[in-house]
Amino acid sequence: MSNSILEGVDAEGDSTADSTADSTADSTVKGTAKNAESPATTVMSMQQALNRALDEVLAENPKAVIFGEDCGRLGGVFRITDGLQAKHGTQRVFDTPLAESGILGMSVGLAMAGFHPIPEVQFDGFAYPAINQIVCQIARMNYRSRGTMPMPITLRVPSFGGIRAPEHHGESLEALFAHVPGLKVVSPSNPHEAYHLLKYAATRPDPVIFMEPKSRYWQKGEVDPGNADPSGGAPEGAKVMREGRHLTLVAWGAMVARCLQVAELAAEDGIEIEVLDLRWLKPIDTAALAASVRKTRRAVVVHEAPLTSGLGAEVAQLITQSCFDTLKAPVERVTGFDVPYPSGDLEDEYIPNIDRILFGIQRVLEYKRG
Amino acid sequence: MAEISFPLPDLGEGLIEATVLEWLVSPGEQVERNQPLVEVETTKSAVELPSPQAGKVVRIYGGPGDKINVGEPLIEFEVPDNTAGIVGTVPKEEAPKRRVRLSAVLDED
Repeated sequence: MSNSILEGVDAEGDSTADSTADSTADSTVKGTAKNAESPATTVMSMQQALNRALDEVLAENPKAVIFGEDCGRLGGVFRITDGLQAKHGTQRVFDTPLAESGILGMSVGLAMAGFHPIPEVQFDGFAYPAINQIVCQIARMNYRSRGTMPMPITLRVPSFGGIRAPEHHGESLEALFAHVPGLKVVSPSNPHEAYHLLKYAATRPDPVIFMEPKSRYWQKGEVDPGNADPSGGAPEGAKVMREGRHLTLVAWGAMVARCLQVAELAAEDGIEIEVLDLRWLKPIDTAALAASVRKTRRAVVVHEAPLTSGLGAEVAQLITQSCFDTLKAPVERVTGFDVPYPSGDLEDEYIPNIDRILFGIQRVLEYKRG
Repeated sequence: MAEISFPLPDLGEGLIEATVLEWLVSPGEQVERNQPLVEVETTKSAVELPSPQAGKVVRIYGGPGDKINVGEPLIEFEVPDNTAGIVGTVPKEEAPKRRVRLSAVLDED
């Protein structure tokens, strides 16, 4: 396909500008053993990284099938499945009617028949009509059948806000999904994570809800296909994206990039912030949370979803449970508000911005025991 | 850049074709979403077709009086690769702005 984002014209153009030096330095430092088998690091957008991951999953697993609204001929409203139908055929990549209950219901049947369905729900808010299929069938079938009917389904959900879209296009459903026994939930924060987490998720025997931060789709970054984690972390663990010693910011998805900006600004004020990308929202990497907060002794959780019963409450409890003796202050939450997700014009007032996160940090820093 | 083709949609139950009356845009022109593109006449009525998306018009099919079948190309747009088909707006990368400063006396115990 001539208009495929796989062609990588953009990526090559960009890599000369800002990352050639980096990637060259990288490969020299890490030595030749890795380079012998793995393709070189390339700069690409999260769209391209996800597209590449799906392309490889289709090539590696003949039982993998991709489907959803506009996934086939159009290549997805965000171009994530662009070119895949042309390359892998209409039996492997196809369009569905506008019926999420049907998309997920069909996934159950396909999984029973031995396939690895990779359905897409076009937007977060469109998952609601399929809640019955997700909660009552997909999440439980393995349990219900005493392990004879696993549900290896990777459900891609473009998630969270930030693109000025209409209602149902900016919601954060991680707490809903994480509450359901039997589901795993993951959200990547950059192109490298997107590539590796999607490839990993698509090889799991369990249903995984893959929440793509749609506001970061166009963000470019280095992707090293041959090396998921230079630090050797577990594929289901959290990841320290920046080290610091005064306070831990815990985030996932699109909020990780914002927290990294906040950490940069806080450094100007002499506050060294550690940014922990939770990555897996179910199960949560409690050990990584504890290790970070035992070091920094302060924590702020940031998410776009509303405050009440959001995943931040779970994270705060896990930190309190494991770090109660060392905590300098109660864990703060900086989140969206307890309102329906607002229209695009009001989005900036809703999503935690830099100042709201800094305020949250300040509240923790100045906390005095009573 | 990617080219996106917009075929003549079904303009009413059972209609299979429409006749071009007048083009309201021309190749090279940048159009916005919902901007009227063309006036066509079916056996039921004459209607203006709004643009399904923003983009630059690359080519148009059929002149006044020509018949076009439902599903056949009507117009082609050129749009940037990574925004082709998008719902919403690509967020702009902006330098972080702040009004809040942090202040703390950190006892290092």
